[in-house]
Amino acid sequence: MKQETTAQGKPLIRVEHVRKVYRMGEEKVVALDDVSLSIYKGEIVCFLGTSGSGKSTFLNMVAGLEKPTRGEIYIGDIPIHKLDEERVTLFRQKNIGFIFQAYHLLPMLTALENVSLPLIFRGVDKKQREKTARAMMKAVGLEGYEKRKPSQMSGGQQQRVGIARALVGTPKIIFADEPTGNLDSNTTREVMQLIVDQVKSHGQTLILVTHDRTIADYADKVVTIQDGNIIKIQQNTSDVESTLNEN
Amino acid sequence: MNNRDLLDLCFRNLFRRRARTLLAVIGVVVGTCAIVVMMSIGYGLTANFQEQIESYGNLHLIQVSSNGNNGVANQDDLKGIINDKTLKTMSEIKGVDAVTPIISEYMTVAVGKKVTQTEFVGIDADVLEKFNYEVSEGRMLKATDKNGVLFGNNVPMWFYNPNKNDWSEEPEKVVGEKLVITADWEYGMKKKSSDSDKIQYPEFKGKGIGVLAAENDESAYRVYMNMADLEEIIAANKKARKDNSSSTNSRLGKTYDQAWVYVGEIADVEDVIKVLKEDMGYYTYSPTDWLNAMQDTANMIQAVLGGIGGISLFVAALGITNTMIMSIYERTKEIGVMKVIGANLKDIRKMFLIEAGLIGFGGGVIGLILSYLISFLMNTVLINVMGSFLSELGGYGSSVSIIPWYVALGALAFATFVGVAAGYGPARRAMNLSALESLRNE
Ligand SMILES: Nc1ncnc2c1ncn2[C@@H]1O[C@H](COP(=O)(O)OP(=O)(O)O)[C@@H](O)[C@H]1O
Ligand SMILES: [Mg+2]
Repeated sequence: MKQETTAQGKPLIRVEHVRKVYRMGEEKVVALDDVSLSIYKGEIVCFLGTSGSGKSTFLNMVAGLEKPTRGEIYIGDIPIHKLDEERVTLFRQKNIGFIFQAYHLLPMLTALENVSLPLIFRGVDKKQREKTARAMMKAVGLEGYEKRKPSQMSGGQQQRVGIARALVGTPKIIFADEPTGNLDSNTTREVMQLIVDQVKSHGQTLILVTHDRTIADYADKVVTIQDGNIIKIQQNTSDVESTLNEN
Repeated sequence: MNNRDLLDLCFRNLFRRRARTLLAVIGVVVGTCAIVVMMSIGYGLTANFQEQIESYGNLHLIQVSSNGNNGVANQDDLKGIINDKTLKTMSEIKGVDAVTPIISEYMTVAVGKKVTQTEFVGIDADVLEKFNYEVSEGRMLKATDKNGVLFGNNVPMWFYNPNKNDWSEEPEKVVGEKLVITADWEYGMKKKSSDSDKIQYPEFKGKGIGVLAAENDESAYRVYMNMADLEEIIAANKKARKDNSSSTNSRLGKTYDQAWVYVGEIADVEDVIKVLKEDMGYYTYSPTDWLNAMQDTANMIQAVLGGIGGISLFVAALGITNTMIMSIYERTKEIGVMKVIGANLKDIRKMFLIEAGLIGFGGGVIGLILSYLISFLMNTVLINVMGSFLSELGGYGSSVSIIPWYVALGALAFATFVGVAAGYGPARRAMNLSALESLRNE
């Protein structure tokens, strides 16, 4: 396992010897074996690996959606692995944005309301949150689509709504699990560029999970996972533009 | 999440599955309707019973009679005796507003050429008003009205000319008129019986003071005078009859055969009767004697009817629970998403509780409106169509179905409560759903 080359002071996310074992009856599935990693503020980190290598498991544990069998996870000074469900939900509400492969928009809400949802959960009043959400929709290029229901939008548009929703509350960290998994290659490029631009311009930290090697090119750091272990950490030296040109 | 957003979200979720929500609501509507209409019939019956009993007399009034043992019992036993001392004791019983001794004499009263026979009741004028009587004409009797007569509502209608056969329907004008009062039954007749032994009763001059407002009881069939005036008349009548018995006794003072006790709250009447009968040894009569038995019947009928309604609301509760559970299965993924992007666990539980509560409340409101409609139809259409059948059920009064406001409010609160209670299990289930689990099954 390679040590990081650029330590920028105290890490934002600290994962120490995390192991996750699923028990399915008699059978044990080791999803993560022994993973340690630090992620710094403002980094775009991509987890690359084949299906079943343990990427989603890693992401979910850092987001506090499930508990590791062993090991510790800190975001800032907060021990995520120790928080109960209520606290971890509150923590996510304040600090974490999520982008899903299947978008996961709420069907009975309009695009604007879907984008507003994290603010609704925080109890922000309607006038203020709609202003913020409108600005966010404009930023992802969906001006004029505010009143549409998810079912009236294309996959790419839905994912833009998903991105706007993840970013609207200006969370410190954004998690994206296969965000382009359901999109064609053109849309993938647009969506990835959008995510990266937004995250960079706000100095947010992005953790990206994919099995698609070309997506890794958008990241600052590429972590390769195989069978529940990190086998390679690679710092991307070339900037995103030049990587794109090489494709 | 603030409450408005929560409510907004709940409404959308309910309207998303209109047909299913409607089905659950209809269940509550039927349940609420069943309870309210059933209970309204019970209340209708009770009201009819009450009406019926009130026609037997004033429900606030207890008529007390002495046991007739004046002077016979031992020295300081006042049991069953009505005198000034025991009257005071009666007035001190909890719930008693007023007490008056009563003397009465059946006599003839005449105005002009017309006469009628009626019961004269001597009463303490100062307490008469406390008995809640009101006048429809003239004024109330005062202690200073010498031989003043206050007429019960029906008495003026009964004057007739003893020498003619004209029973006019018109009530005789009595207020302010000069009256003649006598125990002579043949007063005013031109042709009197030729019996030479006939007692020569004295005639007294009186004056009409007022007429009582219509009361559906025996007060309408009597006339009232001041106690002292009637005592004088009775004494004179006794003398004419050569009767020497005296109501005054050296040990007990003045005694009476009867007294009236007025109880402010009908609910207290039973307790007061108990004291009068068991502790003080009187005979009593009160229309409430009838009321209890009838009330028991009405309560039982109401309990049975209400129970039938209750069962249907319970079935409605199962409907709500079922709807909410189906809704959770359907929305599993959404709940997962909401949790992942930071919905408070309590908000998720609240959301389901409110949705279930709204089904209950909505069903309750519609159920109430429908109940009032049914009640109205029962009281208008049904009462004519089924008149005879209902009268057998005790439908004596004017309405079959009565919905008191507290039953309406109570039913609404209950329907809402049933909704929330039915949603409680599903709401917990939604709250405890694993976010990951729900996102995984795609
Ligand atoms: N809830 C679960 N129960 C049992 N096994 C699981 C569960 N979640 C994941 N796994 C297993 O853990 C391994 C890693 O899964 P995952 O992290 O989803 O992989 P990736 O996201 O890289 O495709 C896989 O073998 C998967 O079958
Ligand atoms: Mg995965």
